Amino acid sequence: MKINNKYTALALAMLMTASSCSDSFLDESPTTAISVEHAIKTDGDMMEATAGMYRVLQGYYLFGRNATVFGDMLADNVYLSSSNSNRLIPHNNFTFVAGNAETRMLWQQAYYAILQANRIIGSEIAENDNVKYLKGEAYAVRALCYLNLVNWFATPHTVNPSAPGVPVVTVSTDVAGPLTLPARNTVAEVYAQILSDLQTAFAMMPATTPTIHISNTNFFSKYAVKALEARAQLYKGDYQKAKDAALEVVQNGGYTLSATKAAFTAYWAATTPRTDKLETLFELNNSAIANNGVEGMDWMYAKGGLGELLVTDDTYALYSPTDMRRELILDGTRGNNQVYYVNKYQNTANTDRDEIKMLRYAEVILTLAESYARLADNTNALQYLNMLAQNRDPEQKAYTLTGSELINAILLERRKELAFEGLRFFDLTRTNASYTRQNMGAKAAAIYPTVTTTDFRRLQPIPELEIAANPNVSQNPGYSN
Amino acid sequence: MNYSVYPSFAPAVRQLSKSRELFALIICLLLLLPFTNATAGPGSRSKPSAWALAEIRGTVTDTLGSPIPGVIVRVKSTNNATITDEKGAYKLENVSEGALLVFSMIGYQPQQVIATSGRLDIKLSVSDVSLEAVTITNGYRVTHIAENTSSTGTVGGKALENKPFSTVISSMQGQVAGFTAPVTSGQPGGLVDVRIRGLGSLSLSSSPLFVIDGMIVNSGKLGYNTTTADALAGLNQNDIERIDVLKDAAATALYGARGSTGVIVITTKRGSAGRTQVRLDTEIGVSAAMDPPKAGMPLNASQYAELFRETLTNSNFTPEQVETLAESYGLNSGKSNNWYDLVTRTGKQSQYNVSVNGGSEKSKFFGSLGYFSQEATTIGSDFRKISALLNIDHKINSKVALSAGFNVSNVNQNTPYSSQFSGNPTWAARSLRPFQLAYNEDGSMNTTTPGNTNFPGIYNPLWIAEKDKKLLSATKMLGNLKLKWDIVKNLSFSTYTSVDYNGLEETLFLNATMGDGASLKGRSKNYYTRYFNWLSRNQFDYRYDIPGFNNFYVSASVGYEAQKSKEYLLAADGSGFPSAHEDLTALTNAATPLGTYGQYSNYAFTSLYAIGEVNFRNKYAISGSFRRDGSSRFPRANREANFFSIGGTWNVHEEAFFVKQRVLSSLKIRSSYGTTGNANLGNYAWVPQASYSTAYGYAGYNGQQYSSVGNIALKWETSKKFDAGVDIGLANDRFSLTVDYYRNNIDGLIRSIPTSYTTGFTAVSQNVGSMLNHGWEFTVRGDLLRIKDFTWNSNFNLSLNRNKITSLPAGTAVTNGQYYLKEGYSFYTYYMREFAGVDPANGSPLYYTNESRTEKTANIADASLIVQNKQSNPKYTGGFNNLFTYKGINLGVDFNFNLGYWIYGASDLYQTSGTYYTYNKYRFVYDRRWTTPGQVTDVPRMSTTTDNSVSTYRIYKGDHIRFRNLMVGYDFKNLGIFKNLKVSKLHLYGRATNLFTKTFDKRLPFDPEVGFSGFDSQDMLQYRTYTVGVNIGL
Repeated sequence: MKINNKYTALALAMLMTASSCSDSFLDESPTTAISVEHAIKTDGDMMEATAGMYRVLQGYYLFGRNATVFGDMLADNVYLSSSNSNRLIPHNNFTFVAGNAETRMLWQQAYYAILQANRIIGSEIAENDNVKYLKGEAYAVRALCYLNLVNWFATPHTVNPSAPGVPVVTVSTDVAGPLTLPARNTVAEVYAQILSDLQTAFAMMPATTPTIHISNTNFFSKYAVKALEARAQLYKGDYQKAKDAALEVVQNGGYTLSATKAAFTAYWAATTPRTDKLETLFELNNSAIANNGVEGMDWMYAKGGLGELLVTDDTYALYSPTDMRRELILDGTRGNNQVYYVNKYQNTANTDRDEIKMLRYAEVILTLAESYARLADNTNALQYLNMLAQNRDPEQKAYTLTGSELINAILLERRKELAFEGLRFFDLTRTNASYTRQNMGAKAAAIYPTVTTTDFRRLQPIPELEIAANPNVSQNPGYSN
Repeated sequence: MNYSVYPSFAPAVRQLSKSRELFALIICLLLLLPFTNATAGPGSRSKPSAWALAEIRGTVTDTLGSPIPGVIVRVKSTNNATITDEKGAYKLENVSEGALLVFSMIGYQPQQVIATSGRLDIKLSVSDVSLEAVTITNGYRVTHIAENTSSTGTVGGKALENKPFSTVISSMQGQVAGFTAPVTSGQPGGLVDVRIRGLGSLSLSSSPLFVIDGMIVNSGKLGYNTTTADALAGLNQNDIERIDVLKDAAATALYGARGSTGVIVITTKRGSAGRTQVRLDTEIGVSAAMDPPKAGMPLNASQYAELFRETLTNSNFTPEQVETLAESYGLNSGKSNNWYDLVTRTGKQSQYNVSVNGGSEKSKFFGSLGYFSQEATTIGSDFRKISALLNIDHKINSKVALSAGFNVSNVNQNTPYSSQFSGNPTWAARSLRPFQLAYNEDGSMNTTTPGNTNFPGIYNPLWIAEKDKKLLSATKMLGNLKLKWDIVKNLSFSTYTSVDYNGLEETLFLNATMGDGASLKGRSKNYYTRYFNWLSRNQFDYRYDIPGFNNFYVSASVGYEAQKSKEYLLAADGSGFPSAHEDLTALTNAATPLGTYGQYSNYAFTSLYAIGEVNFRNKYAISGSFRRDGSSRFPRANREANFFSIGGTWNVHEEAFFVKQRVLSSLKIRSSYGTTGNANLGNYAWVPQASYSTAYGYAGYNGQQYSSVGNIALKWETSKKFDAGVDIGLANDRFSLTVDYYRNNIDGLIRSIPTSYTTGFTAVSQNVGSMLNHGWEFTVRGDLLRIKDFTWNSNFNLSLNRNKITSLPAGTAVTNGQYYLKEGYSFYTYYMREFAGVDPANGSPLYYTNESRTEKTANIADASLIVQNKQSNPKYTGGFNNLFTYKGINLGVDFNFNLGYWIYGASDLYQTSGTYYTYNKYRFVYDRRWTTPGQVTDVPRMSTTTDNSVSTYRIYKGDHIRFRNLMVGYDFKNLGIFKNLKVSKLHLYGRATNLFTKTFDKRLPFDPEVGFSGFDSQDMLQYRTYTVGVNIGL
């Protein structure tokens, strides 16, 4: 039996080998990607996820073009040339329907960015300054996306806070499951989420950027978060809190306006992010290797690109000849027509293209002015209105208006200052104003001149594919699926 | 030599199907042919001797003296018969003295003995009919057919040997009912996609699992760059002992999570004790073009020129414009060539095999070396295989036995592009105009791109075939080691480990002069892909004999198995090759790197399994199996699942009443039910994944995005299989009929379903929907005729498969490409606008605007989509394989057929539509086109403004019967001079394949053997082979 023992041993050895395989034997992970649950384990991972999150915002379906361009195109600042590349025609013509691809992507990409933010916010790694800062950025990005969604797809808070807003999703899909079919939260609930996110971010972010990434305007900073809160409070109609937030930025943020015309001109000509706290609080990066090419907003606006999204004559006429901002519009020709080109995005000929301005100090000042005005503090309102107006136009006489005239003057100043930066439409909707899109005749692709307060297209349609897949979401009035 | 070179065709091919007419036909065949013979057989009449009736009794034992119960003892040609009891004893009364007694038992050689009164004890020896006839092997154990409850089809090695096909699977066509494997490309070594009992899944692979000598191997196309390749192409068909096709739950449930789409169990040859035998097989020959049907031959120069001018004239071009164009396209040049002839050739073909087989009772071995080479009839395509096998069995002592096997092969394959790639020679031959000239005036090859007589679009296929390379070199190694220990009587333990290694080197070179590499001054991509797949299995086998009964036992096996497959890919891509040194095609010579890639992809399975069986005297048997599988391919919460089966069989012929009749010689009824899974999904398909890309980077930082949704709730697709079958033996089991009916309900079908965008994603793979496959299978096999020295051995099989979608999520779109996706319909039901013929008045194509087909329109945009009563998967498939022998002469005649299906010419728009008048056309377009008012035809007037929207105009009837194999041979028997040379076997033969194909659609322009989707994509043409060979046994 000696020999048998030998083979018994051998057999048992083989048996042991096989059956000793532990449960982890079945754990296999891809090598070209990482399982989401393991994707964020260190500060460095979180930084990469943060970069990935910002990159979604930069895409041309979001702020890289559509989410920005629509804010002027659907409002009264710009029109699509009759000579165009077929881009964005339904939005220019006010014919967009629930099946519109650009609208669908406006919705989908915002939620895709929110997914990236949710993943960072939900990651459970030890808190340190890096983590606190990056998570703060994720909260801010999530708020930015929801503010964008709720203003495109829902009734303004100032009109009806209990109207259907958009679904609020705050948990990453790998945790919540990909089959979640949320209903629309109310507008008020969406705003509550936005403000909570912004306040959380502001509270948790260290005042100075930690070492994890460079400190410049390509990333949300503590005071950029506060500036976004000022915008959200303003849109919400909570002027007291809007004033508080804006004042916090003005008093403690350390930002300045361009001191001279030369500085102003140089500011708009620059392609690189800033570290000097001049004008910009937050802007999305467009670099030589990462830009939207011919699909970028800059390409659509600039004379050196497609140059097909043109400034209405009325808008141009708002600027006095001494207003340095008028130089951000070029008087030129397109075909046989005299037209005005947007010149805020000047670097289409360069490999490194213009950054996408997301939050500027001027907006904060005007929000502060408007909030004071709405709180009937004319003195402070005028102070901040004049601070900006006279900075931009040295010949501008100081305003002395009061009441609604003062508010209108501030809104006009917002239009002039923030034109072609995607915010005009929201000023019109939050103030529930009927408005006129100038009839540019043969120069324009089509004409849809009057947008009344009852026009259903003030709300974008919920994408029909969303409704098909998620019956819990209701369509906006006026649209069929 | 104890083998015969000839396919006995006896293989226990058991499966089946139905349809009343066919069933009736088969029964007629059965009843007519053999019965005449059976009753009129030579020397079978016993003499009437009415005066002396005797009682005869005795026992039947095997050669070792153990009693054999269940042996049928019959007075020949009478109904006087009985069956031995559990002690092997029998008693027969009223037997005429001198009558002939027949003792028969499956698995033993029948014996005929002249009756003498009193005691008659008989020893039966085990049948030397190869075991394949009486056993079923499923990779875990071997079962005698008496206790088999499953539907399993077996092909014996002899039916596969020396066939001039590059992959063994293509030799199996038409051999087993329910098994289909269309050869869709003429590329030797190309992927043969197999279906067992139809479509197994909507989104996952429906290919069966392949098991070689117990190892679950990686199969299919493993590489990344080769047009088509099959991981099993390296297997030498002469090394194969048998192939078992497992079809129903009783057979496949043992493979649990991977058994849903059927299992193919390949067993290689092993040594047998005795004198060392050497065998040499040599075959050489040619491959010759198998032209597409005449309807699909390209036009010659004058036909093309005529059609070109007519199309333009019909399209309101002025005569001047037409002539200007004709001039520019070289129609007046007088110079043309025949592209079909230019891209086809006569190829060489050869195979050489040598095997050695021998050993003692203690140690046995089988070793072989093989070489196979084949040139396709399409330029640039060839295949070469070298293989070696060594199988060793050694008894270490009376209790411990060791088996080892090592199988290694290398395949070299040149594979031109397929489908509509400009480098596809088949596509080029069908598309290029006769006036595009292959050669310049000086005889050099034409590589000029611009100019309408040159190659502005499709490249010169001759140049591409000569200068571009698309090479695969695949090395496969399969090794296994098994140790079996008989612990005590009836209890044994075996441990088994196997490694399946595949190393693939793929080289692509695109030349700098013409083709896809021209703009980059030459380009090369290299891929190295390695698969290391190992499996370890430990199994206990136990048998318990119920006390007090003979031959009544319970047997059981339990085991544990672990498997892991690791794939590694390394690839590099570069451009810019030395212009003056055409031979420097190695990637190292590239000036500019274009990319490098490296990655792993793994999967793992662990399984616990048990098999049990109760056998009562081979009369009744019940079997059951259970398997618990865990797989890395499913999310943690769902990664384990249980599968089971239960089956039963009743061998009616073991009943006393059965032997009272003589119409049937055996009758077996069996049925099974069980569950299996489909795990053929991507290795990480369920994993929510975050990935890195330059498209995710931001402000100079690397970026990561959660980009692949995954689904942590994904589960197995589960197939519930039911099978009922009957095996009927006739004429003393000289031939048999097997009929099976099956129903496979497949639940939890995985499909990508739209989800809320608020998840960040648009669609998610989910378990939704169900599907039913059901059908009948019929097999008739055995010697249909035996008259003196003449025998006709046949294997006829027929399968009927029906597929039906039984549930889908609400709101699923009915349009699924060219198919109709709806409950109650086959997945492969065509759904498109319906061509309603040609308006005789003006030649316009007409289409129906309503489903009742009463209204027609000439404007296809107004036509409605109509659910077609046409589908792409054949309703009837099967084969008819015959071997006739007369003395030393043998004649093999094999047919296979696919009937009741339709093919969509997915790529032949260019060969049919006047819009593409610059492409050559099918001959039927030229022959049948409308030209004169009043003409009734089915090809519209040729016009450049034809609307080419999809319609049934490009649907063709695919039905065909293929004369697959013809072999004539002569077996030199008892030849003295060879005996002196110690030659024990000498067989000479000639063989032809694909001699003839009968089709049923006059318009059919291509070979109807296409993939399961029914799409023809202009793949490489198949070919005929003509070979002569010799088999020598020493």
